[in-house]
Amino acid sequence: MEPSTNQTVQLAPPKKKSLSQWGIARKKFVRNIPAMASLIFLFVVTALSMSASLLSDIDPSRINPRLVEVPPSAEHWLGADSAGRDIVTMLLYGGRTSLLIGFSCMTIIITIATIIGTISGYYGNIVDSILMRFTDFMMNFPFLIFVIVLQAIFVDSGVLALILVISLLSWTGAARVIRSKVMSEKENEYVLSAISIGTRPSKVMIKHILPNVMSTIIVQATLLLAAMIVAETGLSYLGFGVPVGTPSWGNMLQAARDPGTFENLWWIWLPPGLLITLTILSINFIGEGFKDAFNPKSKK
Amino acid sequence: MMQTDEVKKKDLTQKDTLLEVQNLKKYYPIHTGFFKRKTGDVKAVDDISLTLRKGETFGLVGESGCGKSTAGRTILRLTDATDGNIFFEGENITKVSGSKLRKARQDYQMVFQDPYASLNPKMMVGHLVDEPIRNYRNKSHKDLKPEVQHLLKRVGLREKDYYKYPHEFSGGQRQRIGIARALALNPKLIVADEPVSALDVSIQSQVLNLLKELQEEFDLTYLFIAHDLSVVKHMSDQIGVMYLGKMVEVGDNESIYREPLHPYTQALISAIPEPNPLIKKERIILKGDVPNPQNPPRGCVFHTRCPMAMEKCKEFVPQLKEVRPNHQVACLLYENQ
Repeated sequence: MEPSTNQTVQLAPPKKKSLSQWGIARKKFVRNIPAMASLIFLFVVTALSMSASLLSDIDPSRINPRLVEVPPSAEHWLGADSAGRDIVTMLLYGGRTSLLIGFSCMTIIITIATIIGTISGYYGNIVDSILMRFTDFMMNFPFLIFVIVLQAIFVDSGVLALILVISLLSWTGAARVIRSKVMSEKENEYVLSAISIGTRPSKVMIKHILPNVMSTIIVQATLLLAAMIVAETGLSYLGFGVPVGTPSWGNMLQAARDPGTFENLWWIWLPPGLLITLTILSINFIGEGFKDAFNPKSKK
Repeated sequence: MMQTDEVKKKDLTQKDTLLEVQNLKKYYPIHTGFFKRKTGDVKAVDDISLTLRKGETFGLVGESGCGKSTAGRTILRLTDATDGNIFFEGENITKVSGSKLRKARQDYQMVFQDPYASLNPKMMVGHLVDEPIRNYRNKSHKDLKPEVQHLLKRVGLREKDYYKYPHEFSGGQRQRIGIARALALNPKLIVADEPVSALDVSIQSQVLNLLKELQEEFDLTYLFIAHDLSVVKHMSDQIGVMYLGKMVEVGDNESIYREPLHPYTQALISAIPEPNPLIKKERIILKGDVPNPQNPPRGCVFHTRCPMAMEKCKEFVPQLKEVRPNHQVACLLYENQ
C-alpha cells in the first residue's frame, strides 16, 4: 500500500497491512461458517428471484385450467396450485416481491431510525425530548390494525403503499436502540476531543459517532430485514398485504388456509413455507455472525 | 531525549499574559424528586483565578475529584462556565459560541488523560492527526500527508504509523498521537489534562520530556493538570493547588516547594516519595476522606482534615492572600501576616 521510501532500512518481515476494526470484523465473519453459509444461501435466493423472468418463461399469473392442482412432475417440478399456476415460477416471482418489500422496508426504516436516533442521542435535552415523544407517539399505533385498516381503504394501492405503511410504523424500536447506543458512545473522550479540535457537530456525528455505532445499526438492519419479510408474509397470508394478483410468498401461503389443500396438496403450501423459514433463519444467522464479528471479546 | 533545565530561568514578570481566568465557577445542579426540582449544586470549580504568561507552564494539582479536570475543560470551553470570565489574549471567550467558538478553538488545544478513550478507534492515525487541520483548511488527506508524517516523526512515531489504527499502539504511543493531534494546528495554549497519569512510570518521563521539548520548539504555553506533585514540579513554572473546587495556594514552583504554606500543600509535598532510603521523611498523613462536594463543610473547606484547624476555621472562609512574593495562600493561619 505504502511506497517503500523509508530511509531507515529495516529488515522487517513482509509488511502486514494494518487492519482497521472493520477489517478485523470482516475476518471474523468470514470464518463463521453458519453465517457465511447463510449469506451464500440468501445471495442465491435473491439472485434467483431477481432473474425470475430469465429462468422461467411461464407467466406467473396466468390461470391454466388444465393444470389445476397437478402434483409435481418432470415438467412442473413442484406442480401447480388450484388455479393452475406453476409453483416454481410463482416461488421465483414471489421471492422477488417478498425480498423487495423486505429490503426496501429495512432501508427506509434504518435510514429514519439512524437519523432520528443519532440526532436525538447526540443533542440530548430538549431535542431528545421532542424526538422521543414523537417516537412514542408513532409507537402508539397498533401495527396490525393500522395496516389492515389502511389496506382496506386503499385496496388497489399495490406494493409501494404497503412498503411505505410498514416502514412508517416500524422504525421506532430501532430508533430507540440507536439513540441509546449513541448516548453511551458520545460519552467517550474521543467525541470531546473531536469537539476540542473544532469539528462541526454534523461531522462529529457522521465521522466519529456513526462509525462506532455502525455495528448496532447493521445488526438492527438484519433483524429488521427478517421481521419485515415476516410482516409481509403474515399480512399477505391474512389477505391484507400484497394484492392477490401479485405473487408473493405470503400470498402463496394463503392456500394453506383451506383445510383440504393443507391436508392433501402439500406441494402448494410447503415450498413457500420452507423458503420463508430458511430465508428468515439465514438472515438471523447472518445477524448473529455480525454480532460476533463486531464483538471485540469474541475469539472466533 | 535528554533536556537541560536552563530555559526555565527567565524573568517571568516581563512576559505577556496569554490566559487570564477570573473567578471561574462551574456548578452542576442537583435535581431530585419527581418534579426534578433543583435542590443544590455540586461546586466542581468554585471561584478560581489564575494567570498564564506566554511560554510558561502552570501546574494545577489536587487529589482526584477536586475539580481540576473540570477547570481545564471549562477554560477550554468544552463545558460552559457557571460564572466568571476567561480572557484569552485579552479577549473574553467565556460567552463566545457557535462558529466563532469553533474558530477560536484553533489557538487552544487539549491533550486528554486517557489515551485509550480519546482516539476514535475507527480512524487511521493519519486521518486522526490531520482532522484538526482539515477542520479549518479545505485540504485533502493527501495534501496533508507530508505535514502529518513530519508531525508524527516529531513526536517520536514513525512515518509509516500514518496507516495504522489506534488499537495497534501502546498507551505511550497513543498519547504521542494525541499530542501530535493537539499540535497540528500550531496552537498557543495546550491544556494537558493528566497526560501521563494513565501511563507506565518509565513512559511517563519520555512523554513529559517530549512535552517540554515541544514547548520550546513551538513556543507553547501549558496548563498542566496532574495529581502527582513530582511530575508538576518537573514541568511547571507556577503551581496552583486545588482542594474541593477551590484554589488553596498559588505560587512559583520553587517558592511552593521550598516553603509550602497551606497545610494541605504541606501534606501533599510530604507524600512525594524520597528516592534515597537513608533520608527519613516526616509524612503528614491526612485523616478522613474528601468531603462530599454536594455538601461542603462550612468555613474553610479543608478544616475537617486539617492538622492545624482552629475554631475560627469552621466559620470564616479564607481568601487567597499574597503572603510571600509571588506566593498566595488561602489559609487563616496567615491571616495576620
